Amino acid sequence: MRLTKVFSLLLAIVMVLALVAGCGEKVAPAADPKTPAKTEEPAPKKDDAAPVESTVTEDGKLKAPDKDMKIVLWDIATAEPAVTIQPAAVERFKAAYPNIEVDNTHIQNDTYKEKLVIAMSSGQCPDMYIHWTGGPMNEYIDSGFGVPITDLMENYCDVPFLEAALAQCTYKGDIYAVPYGGLSGSGVYYNKKIFTELGLSVPQTIGELEAACETLKSNGYIPFALANQSKWTGSMYFMYLATRFGGVDEFNKAVAGTGSFESEAFEFAGNKIQEWVRAGYFPEGVNSLSPDDGQDRQLMYTEEAAMMLHGTWQSGAMKGDNEEWYLDSIDYFAFPKLEGSTANQNIVVGTSVGNAFSFNTGDDEDLRRACFVLATQFYNDDTYNQMQIESGGLPSIEGMGDTLTDTTMQKVWADFSSATNVQLWYDQYLPPEVSEVHKSTSQEIFGLTKTPAEANKELQAALEKYLAK
Amino acid sequence: MDNVSLLNSRQKSTRIAATVFLSPVILLMLIYIIYPIFSTFEISLNEWNGISANKVFVGLENWKTLVKDEVFWKAFLNNIILMVCSILLQMPLAVALATFLDAGGKKVNIYKVAWFLPLLMSSVAIGFLFSYALATTGGIVTTISQAFGGGKVDLLGRAPQALYAVIFVVAWQYTPFYMIYFLAGYSNISIDIYEATIIDGATRGQYFRHVALPLLRPVIYTACILSLIGSLKYFDLIYVMTGGGPGTATDLMATYMYKMSFKTFRMGYGSTVAAGMFVLVTGIALVIQRLLKVRDSVDG
Repeated sequence: MRLTKVFSLLLAIVMVLALVAGCGEKVAPAADPKTPAKTEEPAPKKDDAAPVESTVTEDGKLKAPDKDMKIVLWDIATAEPAVTIQPAAVERFKAAYPNIEVDNTHIQNDTYKEKLVIAMSSGQCPDMYIHWTGGPMNEYIDSGFGVPITDLMENYCDVPFLEAALAQCTYKGDIYAVPYGGLSGSGVYYNKKIFTELGLSVPQTIGELEAACETLKSNGYIPFALANQSKWTGSMYFMYLATRFGGVDEFNKAVAGTGSFESEAFEFAGNKIQEWVRAGYFPEGVNSLSPDDGQDRQLMYTEEAAMMLHGTWQSGAMKGDNEEWYLDSIDYFAFPKLEGSTANQNIVVGTSVGNAFSFNTGDDEDLRRACFVLATQFYNDDTYNQMQIESGGLPSIEGMGDTLTDTTMQKVWADFSSATNVQLWYDQYLPPEVSEVHKSTSQEIFGLTKTPAEANKELQAALEKYLAK
Repeated sequence: MDNVSLLNSRQKSTRIAATVFLSPVILLMLIYIIYPIFSTFEISLNEWNGISANKVFVGLENWKTLVKDEVFWKAFLNNIILMVCSILLQMPLAVALATFLDAGGKKVNIYKVAWFLPLLMSSVAIGFLFSYALATTGGIVTTISQAFGGGKVDLLGRAPQALYAVIFVVAWQYTPFYMIYFLAGYSNISIDIYEATIIDGATRGQYFRHVALPLLRPVIYTACILSLIGSLKYFDLIYVMTGGGPGTATDLMATYMYKMSFKTFRMGYGSTVAAGMFVLVTGIALVIQRLLKVRDSVDG
């Protein structure tokens, strides 16, 4: 009797195992989610990595290995224009290296970061993956999911990436990522027809901006189109106001722990925003409008709103929706200066690296080389850059400014020409747990549910907690 | 003697069959339910970003943080509000709809189908649908308000109305489930009882009040428990419609857990939130179940 019991149990186990095996690789790692990838050995040190042989290069150019291999590549190219431009680069690579298979998965932007974290924690991190540098990149690298590519960058990279862009891909003295999504800044898009109609000129100072807002408001226009459900959109106002008041240093000092988010600059930013909210400069229900659905742009399209502080990628988006209207009605100005401030008033809030690739290739030197070749010679090649520019992108590469025809993009490029002029997006730069608090408190400032002092105190507390670790 | 061994062999074969048929399920439950629960508690004792190989054991540090975490308790309170409102809103409505369907017979079958439809839609689709319907620009409520000379109505962007707006949508989605549940309860009441009541001179209302409702009571209790547990671990519509915002005003325990684990790289603390949620939900469910049982035995 006991024997049959044991036997039936065995049988059952075999059945289940067969079932599990049938489900393929997906199931097995999930059963042990807490064991990170065993293959993620620490990256090889610079000196013993990449033995430079003649087989590695051809005409001085790095080439991918000859042997059969496979690159698992994750990106977020699910919408135009990326969906045309990026897979084309992969196709060119595959044509040049038929021996290398590229398993390219395109993931929806909104869910990408979570999917990547889950993949990493279950040991299925792709060999090459997109990120936005900043805090999350550092987290990935600290956890062993990125290999340094400083040696390859220094010796085999033909692309003259902007110094600021490479600096953003650097962590603890090593380069860990290849930029490919272009740079982006932010500024104010405005409807020049409405401005002409009301006799308004482009505001040079925040005082003038407020005067323009008053005129717009009394003529029934919403001054600013803002959709703040996603929180980072409203954060732009906060960043600009704080930066105009205190410069980049104010933020850098706060993050380093020598300054504070409770300082005057951040207090000023919060107070100014609430002043503007109370004055009715933002649309009703600003915190429930969703920028993912383009509800901010819609307010511009219906000409209910006259201005929109936003990322420069909006040029492409608006052009794509209605090019004629865009060329006819829309222009761009940099965020106005603050009267009487001693801080640098030309700082632009944005990033030198829109998207970047990091390589999770462990100690597989061949794979690392293949990924690098794909990222620098196929992404970032002339065809790729040309397509980027045509669709409103701005590659983070020296000399790209000369080829621009769009006046908005020219203005952005000029802002970026000096690396000290850039304030990185807070939510991109800050460590994720602090960034989440910043986004949340910034939204509450707009909702008038927290005073700026309370909000900044909470942010400072979150940062101090992080720094204490 | 023969009899005994026949019985024996029958029991034996039943046991074998039970083992064979149940073990796959048990094994799957062990892997996908039991193990993750233990693992969650285990992770909750660590400081871990969710992807790195080094987890730092911090003992009860995360739990101490959780106990003092205002956002978590605010989220818990939101869960309680959701739970109470759901039960108060959905149960009477579902009983009413089921009563109507039961009394109407075949003639009202079309309503049965129509009212059941919301349950068939995916939560994410419903979330998007109502985000637009309740939007400040061009939404239904705003349009009606403006037609009567009022201003724009911001339902989802402000606390606390954002939470109540979502609760309304949750009710819209789940009432049909309980309606079907109660309808099944009705079908268990024998037609003889109904006839006897009517012959005794009761009105339809009296039948409902004094006969049907008491007979439905066990079903309603179970429905309440289901709704209670569902509300306490609710996630999807809040996540889609408000994202827990503005700020953290409409965060539920589950959305907070998600944010902590996946958005802020605090898997250790996220697991603590999950484990805390497990403890709270189990505790509340047990207490309520006990209370209902006590009342049931007193009443009965």
